[in-house]
Amino acid sequence: MGGMTDAPSSSFRDHPGGEERAAAPSTIWARAADSFLRWREGELAAMDELVRIMTPVLWHVARAYGLERMLAEDVVQATWFTLLRRHESIQDARAVAGWLTTCARREAWRAGRAAQRARPTDDLDLEPLLPRDESAEDRAHRGDRDRRLWDAVGALDERCRRLLRVVAFEERPDYARIATDLSMPIGSIGPTRQRCLGKLRTALEADGWRGESRDL
Amino acid sequence: MTSETTPDDAALFAALRRTWSTLDPVPAGLVDDMIASVASADLGREYALLTLVESEATGAVRGDADMLTLQFSDGHTNVLVHITIAEGGSRRLDGWADGDVAEVRLIAHDAELQADSDGGRFSFDTIPAGIARLRVTLVAPPTPEAGTQLLTPRFEI
Repeated sequence: MGGMTDAPSSSFRDHPGGEERAAAPSTIWARAADSFLRWREGELAAMDELVRIMTPVLWHVARAYGLERMLAEDVVQATWFTLLRRHESIQDARAVAGWLTTCARREAWRAGRAAQRARPTDDLDLEPLLPRDESAEDRAHRGDRDRRLWDAVGALDERCRRLLRVVAFEERPDYARIATDLSMPIGSIGPTRQRCLGKLRTALEADGWRGESRDL
Repeated sequence: MTSETTPDDAALFAALRRTWSTLDPVPAGLVDDMIASVASADLGREYALLTLVESEATGAVRGDADMLTLQFSDGHTNVLVHITIAEGGSRRLDGWADGDVAEVRLIAHDAELQADSDGGRFSFDTIPAGIARLRVTLVAPPTPEAGTQLLTPRFEI
């Protein structure tokens, strides 16, 4: 995050989502652990770093559960407050990122259940991930590759979408916990993941993808 | 427990992260809000939350004010802030704190800026209009039981 502090005002205004680069999670995990350790040792500003590093990840985890945006924001906040209350229970500081994402999944699952009960519909996907009636202009602005991938993901069943999103943003997904959260047998997570990836590849190929990673 | 991830799988996951980050991005301001609320919730441990003591706009209406003056205090330390409109609509913030200041940061737009500071004086030039808060770190607590971290409520610049 060097460079953030002296960022010229223009970049700091023009990129409201600038924190959210698709960085490799291994880096994120290591940086989260480092910040958490320094915070525990008394370096106050390190908590801000941890929040800055992990909030985007927690957002995507919450959204993987189909929560509408306001609810997803509440889940992220509840996760941070839980960390403040219970951080002493984290024995291995290096596990803080996994602890946070697990907490966010639990909160998201709970929030999703509550939201479902409040609605007459049993539609689990509370908000379509993308408005179906997006304008032609929006469509044109979207990267072609992103559009293809998004459409391919949209064609998957909900369980696949959720699993792939959670796995994509968690560096070391804890399959035992994910299995509990998704009400799936532990042993089926790995095969389900592969099956979902297979379906995704099939959908991409149907759309003209020739299997090259660089075209993704 | 984890099944093996091939390079092809890893490339696909990386592309998925990119797509989700682009098409369902973290809301603007969420990171900033979370930093502020975590800091406030952690109040008892670390932060003294300053409160707004006085606010005065010089100019016709608040929106057209040439200068906005804000004063914050936690009973020990006072922080005075002047915000002026600079060329091109950007803002300039000048501040004074009556404690021994180690560092001043402006938190806004999911980013943090560090002030040019000299003793208790600090300033930020050409900052965009918007909502922000300041975090002031003192060299030493003003009283033995007080903290060295001070956080203002959010204000409009």
